[in-house]
Amino acid sequence: MTDIAESMDPGVAAAIDDETRPRGIYPPTEEMLNEPVDPDLQKAQEARLRAVWAEPPGWRYWSAVNNSEVGAWYSLTAFAFMLCAGVLALLMRVQLAVPENDFLPADTFNQFFTMHGSAMMFLFAVPMFEAISILLLPAFLGARDMPFPRLSAYGYWAFLIGGIFVLSSILFGVAPNSGWFMYPPLATEAEGPGSDIWLLGLSFIEVASIAAAVELIVGVVKCRPPGMRINLMPLYAWYVLVVGGMILFAFPPLIAGDFLFEMQRSFDWPFFDPERGGDPMLWQHLFWIFGHPEVYIIFLPSIAIAAMVIPTAARRPIVGYNWIVLSAVGTGFLSFGLWVHHMFTTGLPSLSLGFFSAASEAVVIPTGIQLFAFVATLIVGRVRMIQPMLWIAGAVAIFTAGGLTGIMVALAPFDWQVHDTYFIVAHLHYTLFGGMIFPIIGGVYYFYPFFAKKKMSDRLGRISFWLTFTGFNICFLPMHLTGLKGMPRRVFTYPGDIGWDWLNLISTVGAFVTAAGILVFAWDLLRPKRDQDLTERNPWGGGTLEWAHDVPDPGWGVRGVPYITSRYPLWDQPNFLERLDTGRFYIPDAPEGLRETVVTSAVDAVPQHVARITGPAWCTIWAAVFTGGAFIFPTFHMYPPAIICGILAVAAVIYWLWTSTALVPEAPMKDAGLGLTLPTYVSGPRAPGWWGVFITMLGDSTAFASLVFGVFFYWTARPDFPPEGAVHASPLWTALAAALLFGSWAATRAARGINRGGNPRTAQILLIAAPLLAIAGGTALVLAVWVPGLAPSSHVYPAMMWALVVWTCAHVAAGVVMQGYCLAGTIFGKLTPRYDADLWNTTLFWHFLVVSCLITAAMIGILPRML
Amino acid sequence: MQFDRRSSLWHMIAAPIAWSLHFCVVYGWTASVCARGWDAGTARLGIAIATGLAIAFIAAIGWHAWKQWDYLDDFDYEHDGPSVEDRREFLGHAGWLLALVSLIGVLFNASPALFISSCV
Repeated sequence: MTDIAESMDPGVAAAIDDETRPRGIYPPTEEMLNEPVDPDLQKAQEARLRAVWAEPPGWRYWSAVNNSEVGAWYSLTAFAFMLCAGVLALLMRVQLAVPENDFLPADTFNQFFTMHGSAMMFLFAVPMFEAISILLLPAFLGARDMPFPRLSAYGYWAFLIGGIFVLSSILFGVAPNSGWFMYPPLATEAEGPGSDIWLLGLSFIEVASIAAAVELIVGVVKCRPPGMRINLMPLYAWYVLVVGGMILFAFPPLIAGDFLFEMQRSFDWPFFDPERGGDPMLWQHLFWIFGHPEVYIIFLPSIAIAAMVIPTAARRPIVGYNWIVLSAVGTGFLSFGLWVHHMFTTGLPSLSLGFFSAASEAVVIPTGIQLFAFVATLIVGRVRMIQPMLWIAGAVAIFTAGGLTGIMVALAPFDWQVHDTYFIVAHLHYTLFGGMIFPIIGGVYYFYPFFAKKKMSDRLGRISFWLTFTGFNICFLPMHLTGLKGMPRRVFTYPGDIGWDWLNLISTVGAFVTAAGILVFAWDLLRPKRDQDLTERNPWGGGTLEWAHDVPDPGWGVRGVPYITSRYPLWDQPNFLERLDTGRFYIPDAPEGLRETVVTSAVDAVPQHVARITGPAWCTIWAAVFTGGAFIFPTFHMYPPAIICGILAVAAVIYWLWTSTALVPEAPMKDAGLGLTLPTYVSGPRAPGWWGVFITMLGDSTAFASLVFGVFFYWTARPDFPPEGAVHASPLWTALAAALLFGSWAATRAARGINRGGNPRTAQILLIAAPLLAIAGGTALVLAVWVPGLAPSSHVYPAMMWALVVWTCAHVAAGVVMQGYCLAGTIFGKLTPRYDADLWNTTLFWHFLVVSCLITAAMIGILPRML
Repeated sequence: MQFDRRSSLWHMIAAPIAWSLHFCVVYGWTASVCARGWDAGTARLGIAIATGLAIAFIAAIGWHAWKQWDYLDDFDYEHDGPSVEDRREFLGHAGWLLALVSLIGVLFNASPALFISSCV
């Protein structure tokens, strides 16, 4: 028997004080795992777990935060939005069926294609990834739930409110109408609230996406079961990790772009107006730095489903696990080097175009590798053509066709010919249907018995597949030719004598056949199945942990957190299900009546901590409603209610954190089973919350970096940045701001150490000083641009300086709230020398904040004088 | 967070990070040179230097990863066991493959400078 100390990384072990050090035996021996559990005890344990994890009764059901409920709502909502966006597509196809048609007026058509693209991307494709991951990931990882269930719920309600707001604008005829990428000046000059609805509504949803990314990354890194080292992770988890990372670097540039865009729309700060030194190209860069990785953010998690289905269909482990990891990680990186291939016709230097063309070709290598690994698995396996496999096969065929046209349009000279024609429409639908729709539907068929405990119809599935597959090709294959014949995108009608009419008619027919296929699927998904028998436990014969689920669903996620030694535990680990069902693994009981899961180390999955997880709550819904108000009221230039909503949203979040996170536990350690004693409270890098802050701040830093990029962009692209004789920020006030904010950071950091050292009184004094210094520093920063009189609407240079100041001050305000929260914690006994997770997290936030404060000071105080 | 290379994810992704930095430097440098109206030869020289540095760095990362994988020692390829050795060799193997793909990426990205001799 081995002591857990021997499994711990020496560096990490040295950093842990003795009191919270995990104690006991790890890994468990065979004898320990074979030890029978008394049947009465087993029943009592099950009853306690069932009570703790029960979903709230009656109307309180909607306060649930459990991943199985939130994941199901999330997926169904995204699917509903997809159907709406699909209806818009059908209406557009009706309009285009014959030349000179007057079914839809031009402006309505503009609104429809804008909303079709925006809804499919922001309300369906990305949220669907988050939804499915929230639904499935804990089961893949043998965890009871996600690390932050209330955050998932908050993300869901924010998504629902934002989605309904954006989508319903079409019913009032005020939807955005400038295309899903909202290019200025068309979108900045557009009349009516359409552009604002797009900007604010979707920014709100992007925030929800980033919340989900944080949750999923922490889930993969910290909530794997003991023994599941990084080389044993299910491939889906690898993809989630990669895609979560991509969201952190792809969405923030768009949020930064939205911020600049909205400042121009609302306050006339001329970021994209060339007459006052602005440049519309900056929006294109920021949009596509988001927009191209976005395609892979959609594609990778869907193909990850294929990576789960294929081994089951082939009845053998995946071939080339390492190669698929390479492919996922490699694609994640390379996909950031492609964005300018959407901008080949904007007149950038040909040398620059060459880089993006080359990177667009290079990304084919990792993308191709994973498809070959799938094919290889099927070749060497003993394939059963289970119904989901049909969808995966269709996906691979369609995606490959889309990939081939992708190689064509990655070549700048070819792209100049087909840019903005129907060839592009065909290409992108081939990649998205093949890379997203087909694998997702295959995944729904495959995982339905897991999350619904019933089966969908094999026969309807096949009908739906063949309708969708043929309909899709009838619709989109001719579009390649339509595009080559010169038909531009986004035209609401066309003349009848130039050879486009019959191609369009065929496409319209195909669109309706596709829609019929999707409807069959929708019916199969939603039809009542009350009379149908429950599914058997492992209907496809899979080897991964989700098929260890209980039928019917007892609500607890997993009976005990298992000990894992294989990539396919159900195939390879002897007596696995029996051990799981009798509660011989970790935390088989809930004696304290609390929801719990096991937190393990990032690489080797050594148990570190028993985390207490939050349960049902209304405060998350209130937080989402008020956050929604804060984003939605400004659309109609109603600022006072927006500010009130913002304050209430912050209040709801503080209530939620105060009442349910980092609570002082009833005992510092608890018996986790199998001879292991684990701490119930940890702080710093061992705590999931710390990782949550770390990952959020990585994303936040990317947004800040995008603003800094903006400054350098104007400097390279514009001769008048900064303009001759421009007023600069006051050096004195800037230096003072930097010093005060640095002082605030230092006080926070010192408070953490001093509090830990057992001197909470001194820490309290520091925590009173820190926010005062921060407020003074933020004020000095505003005065630095205010006193010399930088007028943001006069030119892009002062506007950019103001943008940096506004951004930084908003973060300083958040930092002040966090310092105040910690101060209150020390006063009311929630934060003690021993239980100090909040202070660790606040300090981590301030590490990031002080860097961005100093950069802002340098950008406004020093840099312009050097340029 | 752990920085021991045998158990570190950061080492595994060091090569693609080098690719990203190379990409940003090359793109930013070319954009600045061309926007200022300087000679494209200056841009190409900078690209050559950045590419040389990136290749050297990626080669070093790849060599360490190869040694960590230690393929020729025991011909382990799948790394699907629960031991420390499996994890160490897996991270080496994946790091090596990523170094390879990053190297190809860097060479691809530098290649336009071989063929295109002007900003226009």
